[in-house]
Amino acid sequence: MTAAGIGRPAPELVPDGGTRPPGPGRALTGLRLVRLYLASRRVLACLLVLAACAVALRTALHWLPRTGTFSRQIPLIIEAGAAAAIGVTTRSPFGEPERATGVRLPVLRLGVSLALAGAALGALAAAASAHLAGGTVGLLRDLGGLTGVTLLAAAALGGALAWVGPIGYLAVTLPAVAGHWTSPWAWPARPPHDRGAAICAALVFAAGLAAVTLRGARDAPARE
Amino acid sequence: MTAATAPARPAPPRARRLPPAAGPARLLGIELRRSPMLWLLPVLAVLFYVSTYRPAMGNPPFWNIRGGMIQSHTMLVFAPLLAGAGAWVGSRDGRRGLADLVGMTAVPRWAGQVATWAAATIWAELLYLAGVGVLYAVTARQGAWGGPLWWPAAVGAATVAASCAVGFAAGARLPGRFTAGLAALVVFLALAGGAFAIQDNATYAQIWPLNVQGPFPPDSYGIFYPYLPDLAIAQVMFLAGLAAAALGVLGLPAGAGSRWLRAAAAAVTVAGLAAAGTAIGLAGTARVEPHGIVIPALHDAASDRPVPYTPVCSRGAVPVCLQPAYRAYLPDVTAALGPLLRQLAGLPGAPARVTQVVVTTVTSARENGIGFGGPVISGHPPVLYLPLSGLTLPGEGNTPAASFTANLRGQYGTAIVNDLVGLPSGSPAGTGVTGVNFELGPRHAAQFAIANALDQVLRLTGPWSVRPGARPPSRSLPAGTGANGAAASGSGTLAGSGAGAGSGAGAGSGAGAGGGAAPSAAQQQAAVDRFAALSAAARHAWLLTHLAALRAGRIALSEIP
Repeated sequence: MTAAGIGRPAPELVPDGGTRPPGPGRALTGLRLVRLYLASRRVLACLLVLAACAVALRTALHWLPRTGTFSRQIPLIIEAGAAAAIGVTTRSPFGEPERATGVRLPVLRLGVSLALAGAALGALAAAASAHLAGGTVGLLRDLGGLTGVTLLAAAALGGALAWVGPIGYLAVTLPAVAGHWTSPWAWPARPPHDRGAAICAALVFAAGLAAVTLRGARDAPARE
Repeated sequence: MTAATAPARPAPPRARRLPPAAGPARLLGIELRRSPMLWLLPVLAVLFYVSTYRPAMGNPPFWNIRGGMIQSHTMLVFAPLLAGAGAWVGSRDGRRGLADLVGMTAVPRWAGQVATWAAATIWAELLYLAGVGVLYAVTARQGAWGGPLWWPAAVGAATVAASCAVGFAAGARLPGRFTAGLAALVVFLALAGGAFAIQDNATYAQIWPLNVQGPFPPDSYGIFYPYLPDLAIAQVMFLAGLAAAALGVLGLPAGAGSRWLRAAAAAVTVAGLAAAGTAIGLAGTARVEPHGIVIPALHDAASDRPVPYTPVCSRGAVPVCLQPAYRAYLPDVTAALGPLLRQLAGLPGAPARVTQVVVTTVTSARENGIGFGGPVISGHPPVLYLPLSGLTLPGEGNTPAASFTANLRGQYGTAIVNDLVGLPSGSPAGTGVTGVNFELGPRHAAQFAIANALDQVLRLTGPWSVRPGARPPSRSLPAGTGANGAAASGSGTLAGSGAGAGSGAGAGSGAGAGGGAAPSAAQQQAAVDRFAALSAAARHAWLLTHLAALRAGRIALSEIP
C-alpha cells in the first residue's frame, strides 16, 4: 500500500467512476441536505415558537383595547419575539468545518431566513391582522424591520445572542410609540403607511438578510 | 567551635500564600472571568446611553427627573435583556449536556448554580451602578440642588438581580436554544402587562418595577419634601423575594445537594414567595398623597416634614420667590408674571408676594392620571402660592424658555386675574384633568369684561379676539386644561353657544347689577375695549376703587369706564 491515491475519494463514494450522481440522485441529495440543514438549525422548533407567538398575539388582542398605546406596544413585543426566534435559527452547531465545506450554505441561509420570515408573517397575520392597529401593512413593516435587526445581530453577536437585537431595539424605541417620534428609523412609532419608515425597515431587512446570507451568523464565542 | 555548636542560620521567611478560597468562592472567581455577561456589557452600555443618559441630558438637572429615569427608562431596556442573558447563562450546562458531570463535583450543584448566577449578576450590577454613578456625577456637576435619590437606584439594582435570577432559573430548568429569547420576551411582556394594569387603575399593579411614584410626574416629588420611599421599599421587597424564590427553586431537585441544602433551598423559596406576596399586598394599600405614594404600613412620619431651604427671590414690587432648585427659572417666571403682578400690585386681594409651592391640590384621575391645582391666593397679606409641578420646564424635551413663559402666563396669569375679579378659578392645571364647566350668570358679565381686557392688555393668552356675533357669557364656560374664562375666550369664543346664552338669560341669579337679560356681544366687546384703552394708571385706579364691588357682582357693564 502506498500513499499515491490518498488524494482521491474512496471508490465506493464515487459512483460511475467519479462522475456526479444522476438527476434523481442529485435531487435526493439536495433534499437530504436541506433536511439536515433544517434539523441542525432547529427550524421545526422555531415554527412552533412562531405558532406560539401567533396564539399569544391573538390572546393579547382579545384583552387589549382596540386603540391607544398598548394596542400597538404589546403586539410589537410579540413580533419582536417572533423575529428573535428567526434569528436564533441562524446559529450553526458546526462552525468553521461547515463553512469550509458547505458550498451551498448561502443559498440555504437565504432560503431558510426568507421562509421563516414569511412563516412568521403568515402566522401573525392569520392570527390577528384584522385586529392590529396598523393592519397587515404595519405588521409587514414592523416584522420585516425587526427580523432585519435580528439578522444583523446574529451576524454581529452570533445566532445564540441574536435575540438581543430586536429586544434591545424595541426597548429603546417602544417609548417612541407613545411619544410619536418622527425619525423613520424608529419605524414602530410611525403610522403604517409612512413611506420613510417603510423604506428604513426594508433597508434593515435587506441588510440583515444580506449579512446572514453572505457571512452567516458569527461563530459562538468560546466562553459562551 | 565545631559545626555542631554553630548557631543555626535562620530560615528565610517563607513567602506567605493566601489560603485557597473555599469551593463556591473559587467557583465564583472562575465564573466572573468566564461569564457570558461580559460579552453583553458593551451592548448594555450602549443601550444605557441611548435609553437613559441621552434623554436625561435633554432634561433639566433635577435629581428627581434623573433618578426616575434610572429606574424606569433603564429597567425597560435592561430587565428583558438581563433575563435573556440570565437564561443563556443558566442553560449552559444543559445545552452542553454537562448537567450530570457538574452534578458530581465537590461543590453542591445548587451552590455552583448560585455562583454562576452571582457572577452574571455582579457584572450586570457593576455596569448599572457605573451608569448611575456617571449620570449622577454629571448631574451634580450641572449644579442640581439637593442630593441624589438612591431609592430609584436601589429598585433598579433589585430589578437587575431579579431579572437575572428569573432568567437563570428558566434557563436552568428548560435549557434550549430558544430559552434565552423567550425569557426576554416573557419579561418584556410582563413589564408591558404591568403598565397596562397600572393604567387600568389596578392598585396591586403599583408594585410594577418601572413605577417610580405612581402618577406623579418626575419633577413633582423629592424637592420640597423628602422622597417617599414607601413604594420603593415594597418594590425592593417584591424583587428580592422574586429573586430568592427563583434561585430557591433550583435547589429543590434531588441532585441539587444534600438534604440540608435542599431544605435550605425550600426555606429560601418559601421566604421569597412570602416576601413577594407581602409586597404585592402592601402595594395594594398605596394611596396618592400630595407628596407621593404612601403605603401606611411602611410610611415614616419623618418623611412628611418639609425639606428646609432658603428661597431665591426676585426684586420688585411683588417679589417672586422660588425653591433654590428652580433658581435657573426665576428670570423666566418673573418675565411671565411680572407685568401682571405690577398691574395688580396694591389692589385689595392682589398678591403681595409670590411663593412657589410643590402643589396646591392633588386629585387622582382615570387611567393612573393626576390633576394638580393651579395657583392659589390666600393669607394676609395675600400671597400667591405658585406650583410649577407638571409644567414643562425650559430645557425639558427641548422646550424653549419662551414656550414655558407663554404657558405660565396663559395658564396661571389668567387664573390669577379670574381669582382677583371674582370669576371661578378652580380649573385644574397640569396633567390628567381637562377642565370643568362653571355655572355663570349675566352678573359675571362685568367680571368677564375686566378679565378679558386685562388678558388683552397683558397678552396673557396670546392673540385675543371675540368671534363676531358671539353672545356674552351667560350659562356655561368651557374651560381647557388649566385655563379659565379668559383663556377660553382667547380662543375666539366668549361663550359656549347661542343656545346656551339664550337659556342662560332666564337662568341667571338676577342678583346685583348684572341680573336680568344677558348683554349682547357688542356690549361686551365695547366694555372690554373701553377698559383696555385706559392707561395702566387709570385701570389700576379704577380697580382700586371698584374691585370689591366687581368681585361681589355689583358692577354692570355700563359702569366700566
